Amino acid sequence: MISEIDRYASLSSPIHRWDPRFRIVSIFTLIFSVVLLYNLQLVIIGMIFAIILTGMSKIPFSFVLARMKLVFIFVIPFFVILPFTFMNTDTGVGIASFGGITLSYRGIEYALFATMIVLKALVAVMLVFPMIGTSRMDITIKALEGLHLPNKLVQMFAFTYRYIFVLDDEFLRTDRALAARGFKKRGNMYTLTTVSKAIAMLFVKSYERADRVFYAMRSKGYTGTIATLHEFHARRQDWINTAIVVGFSLLLQVAATLDTFSATGGFI
Amino acid sequence: MTNKATGAAIHVHDLNYAYPDGTVALKQVSFEIARGESIALVGPNGAGKSTLLLHLNGILHSTGSRGAVEILGKPIDPKKVHEMPKKIGIVFQNPDDMLFMPLLGDDVAFGPINLGVAKDEVKRRVRESLERVGLAGYETRVSHHLSGGEKKRAAIATVLSMEPEIIAMDEPTANLDPKSRAELIEILKGLKNEGKTLIIITHDVNAIPELADRVIVLNKTVVADGTTREVFSDTEMLQAAGLEIPTIMQFFEVLQAFGYPCDVLPLSIDGAVMNLTQTIKNEAGHVHLHIHKHTHSEVDSARSKYQHHRE
Repeated sequence: MISEIDRYASLSSPIHRWDPRFRIVSIFTLIFSVVLLYNLQLVIIGMIFAIILTGMSKIPFSFVLARMKLVFIFVIPFFVILPFTFMNTDTGVGIASFGGITLSYRGIEYALFATMIVLKALVAVMLVFPMIGTSRMDITIKALEGLHLPNKLVQMFAFTYRYIFVLDDEFLRTDRALAARGFKKRGNMYTLTTVSKAIAMLFVKSYERADRVFYAMRSKGYTGTIATLHEFHARRQDWINTAIVVGFSLLLQVAATLDTFSATGGFI
Repeated sequence: MTNKATGAAIHVHDLNYAYPDGTVALKQVSFEIARGESIALVGPNGAGKSTLLLHLNGILHSTGSRGAVEILGKPIDPKKVHEMPKKIGIVFQNPDDMLFMPLLGDDVAFGPINLGVAKDEVKRRVRESLERVGLAGYETRVSHHLSGGEKKRAAIATVLSMEPEIIAMDEPTANLDPKSRAELIEILKGLKNEGKTLIIITHDVNAIPELADRVIVLNKTVVADGTTREVFSDTEMLQAAGLEIPTIMQFFEVLQAFGYPCDVLPLSIDGAVMNLTQTIKNEAGHVHLHIHKHTHSEVDSARSKYQHHRE
């Protein structure tokens, strides 16, 4: 079963109580602000702020870390590749050599650069949890609608969320049907073709289901846009929270422009 | 029938449809359903029942059969399918296809919002529709967490909220446990008593006498159309279409073989109670059953009629 990102939506925290429209815009601003930084210290400050936000949301860190692990696997190659990529360039003074590959001082600098990239990725992913993990997915979707995101985009989002579980169940059934007839996944060609055929069938089934859902929508008067009943009421606290988070995001950018900390941490 | 019973609710004349691959699904289908009437649409698998349903609100149509379907006196305009739900609501066979919104309340509100109903009225309809199907307070439930029976009822609520005059349903009682099935039949009976025009596709022959005044048998074309009793009395036609009659009818046929005096076979348990009461009264207090020389062969013939696998 696909684990649900909104598993901890029923908790109660200042982040949970924050109007989802404001919350999404604010934290999204923060994510962008951190990603656009090119200063390790500022990124670390952003990360501390992200950890505070996540902590305040009461979403267990184990839950967040388990999902960040996957992202980490994707960005880890930066650590390995970057320091060795700039070897033997004009500024690179060799410190050590491993079988023809030279590690240079410039390479060490790039290791710091890689650290920054990895941290930025982790901050972005971590912030997704306080951003959309603190309200039920349906509320988030309504918030997107309330933010006047293009309706097509909201619909795609809503349908993906609604049917990903149905598809997952469907594949689980296929998987069990295969197992019930003695199929065992091995590392051979037969396994590969069987599984790909099962996935192909899943596509066919999804296509047919999409047809039926579309018929059902048309039967209910669908003409291209979806509207739902939703009521969000912004309170003073929502504005205060927004001011804090957006203010912090702007501050990071201001600090970056003013080149604060540049003597020790700036790159490029 | 209601006082509005003027003109036909549904008029289908010479409707033909073939799937894109050329397979004929519907051939010269013609029938008429009066307002307030309740129809059971039966037929074997692949007989085109579901396909017919999708023609009733214009979702499927073919150029060859333009104007073949009239709803409440007006032919369907394929360009105005989105206006059809005011007149006719369709409940699909698989509720997962109908519950496509994040929350059940959104699903029930979907139709009326599309029809341009005012916000407060939408809310009232959502609340009432859910109440009608016994799901009061389910507005904020997530549909993929509902049970099969709840989903079926929820799908009906999404159509009730549009307040159509005609409701067409595709196998509403299929795949339900006995309690859920009974609840669903009660909901359908309620709609019938309210004067809604109902078309119910079903294989559940035992439910038909309670729900429908009339039965249409479809097997690519209309092979029979009559009152429930007329259709269930046409053994040859039912056999040819691979269908059967309610268990109660079969049982009373068996009783006849044991000498039970019965001219008109009861269709339902209610009918059976009435029949027995009447017969006992007529026979001065008791019914006499016995085994005569033809009992055995008559029982066999009654039983073998609908045991298609023995053919």
